[in-house]
Amino acid sequence: MADALHTLSAAELGRRLAAGSLTSRALCEALLARYDAVNEKVGAFTHLDRADVLAQADASDARRQAGQGRGPLEGIPVAIKDNIAVKGQPLTCSSKMLASLVSPYDSHVAERLRAAGAILYGRLNMDEFAMGSSTENSAVRKTFNPWDLARIPGGSSGGSAAALAAGLVPLSLGSDTGGSIRQPASHCGVVGLKPTYGLVSRFGLVAFASSLDQIGPMARSVEDCELLLTALASADVRDMTCFGPAERALTPAGDAKQLRIGVPKGFLGKGVAPEVAAAVEAAIAFYRAQGCAVSEVELPSADLAVPTYYVVATAEASSNLGRYDGVRYGHRSAQAGTPFEMMTNSRSEGFGAEVKRRILLGTFVLSAGYADAYYNRALRARAKIRAEYLAALAQVDVLLTPTVPTPAFKVGEKASDPLQLYLEDIFTIPANLAGLPALSVPCGKSGHLPVGFHLVGAPLSEAKLLAAGRLFEAAHGFAHQQVAL
Amino acid sequence: MAEGFDIDHLAKLARLNLTDAEKALYSTQLSSILGHFRALAEADLPSSVDDARVVREAALRSDEPGPSLGAEAVTRIAPAARDGQISVPRVVDDES
Repeated sequence: MADALHTLSAAELGRRLAAGSLTSRALCEALLARYDAVNEKVGAFTHLDRADVLAQADASDARRQAGQGRGPLEGIPVAIKDNIAVKGQPLTCSSKMLASLVSPYDSHVAERLRAAGAILYGRLNMDEFAMGSSTENSAVRKTFNPWDLARIPGGSSGGSAAALAAGLVPLSLGSDTGGSIRQPASHCGVVGLKPTYGLVSRFGLVAFASSLDQIGPMARSVEDCELLLTALASADVRDMTCFGPAERALTPAGDAKQLRIGVPKGFLGKGVAPEVAAAVEAAIAFYRAQGCAVSEVELPSADLAVPTYYVVATAEASSNLGRYDGVRYGHRSAQAGTPFEMMTNSRSEGFGAEVKRRILLGTFVLSAGYADAYYNRALRARAKIRAEYLAALAQVDVLLTPTVPTPAFKVGEKASDPLQLYLEDIFTIPANLAGLPALSVPCGKSGHLPVGFHLVGAPLSEAKLLAAGRLFEAAHGFAHQQVAL
Repeated sequence: MAEGFDIDHLAKLARLNLTDAEKALYSTQLSSILGHFRALAEADLPSSVDDARVVREAALRSDEPGPSLGAEAVTRIAPAARDGQISVPRVVDDES
């Protein structure tokens, strides 16, 4: 029987490719066979161009043959969330609004992956315009959790997480505005990192809430996640929030066994499922046993994070999504007799329910008479939350919490209650509000469902987070877990 | 319903047509969500906002022409185009 290439890490695949015992074509053919076997069940991908994948693989093999390999990602497939532009591939954001859009250009991260020799491998399902926590808001298809096909994979990068867990691809890209990389990573038993705001360029990422959005790596191990981050992170003048060459040095990792770990008071209490709390407490005990100093920290404004986020994110979304007016690209209604009709009908036909809900909410919190009470207060609350996180992170190196309070829920279970769904993000949102890096690492199970823990660090402390994750991962068997599908 | 919450006005500002059923649903849901935001109104907050994302002048590029997608690539993805230009419904009436 052929080696089960779909189970291997990107690092191991890279070693085999470098040693000449594997070609990128053979790897891609194995993954295409895996796609045929399981994608219909899982629904992770919305588009995959086989001929293009194999052409990229052949080009990679030719480069390697000629001694022109481009590094550790040479020949390795990376699947991409459908809100990140790849020239010549669909860019739908899982929305009817962009159903027929083919990107005329590469995002910065796509350019980086090409320069690293990676194979740009297909488009991954997501909540429409990245708005959601279950991938149920996709207008294209449903995605299911590989660990239990009756349950959601999380979201909005649900396709990115499910593809990894199902062995469809070794690496994927997600985007994270309030937890959209880390929450699905936790639900699917994989690793996801939201980098420091400014570390990875968003040029070519379809904008949702620009003061919060980040692109980040997802993988089945911490090592692979780090490999992908290294390829993605570089200066780019086309995203004015992206750090320049002189500003982007990461803090050295140091010795993970010397880390000072802060556990926010009350974060393992109310609303956290007992099995989730138990798995996270076991992780805390592990770090303590390794020699890490664990202490309790206070984050008094934690309760403000969800309302602050939903004011800021929807306000920015209502503005960003104003560009979908039926004029330049995207859906234009057939009923477009006047400019006003064209805009209103195109938007009404093109956007799904959650996107409309958030546009309406964002419009309200910015509207005359209410902006002071909602938007401006949220900006002040955001300053307070950021200050509290930075103060806590002056005392400890990382903050450790669950990634999500509860394991993956059943498809449809929370579909009628948007507020319940918004509370899924309670532990992940503050890192976006404060611009901090955050990592989700698998740490156990609740029944048969994966549970992750969440590390947040000071700006540019990615190496510390990843070192802490590697220390845990090396001692536990959660990396590259295989699901029977 | 939250004070001053006018779904018709909001839909118009957001350029969305809503059916009566959608208006009823969104009104209920938005009121519930805004109720959850009350914590913001009651919190003791600093007077200043988070200015971490205020754009630094150093981050701005000089305003000079550079390579761009070009008309062909742009009109190819447009809903309607003619003679290298994007076409839209008439904006100005003959009489006006």
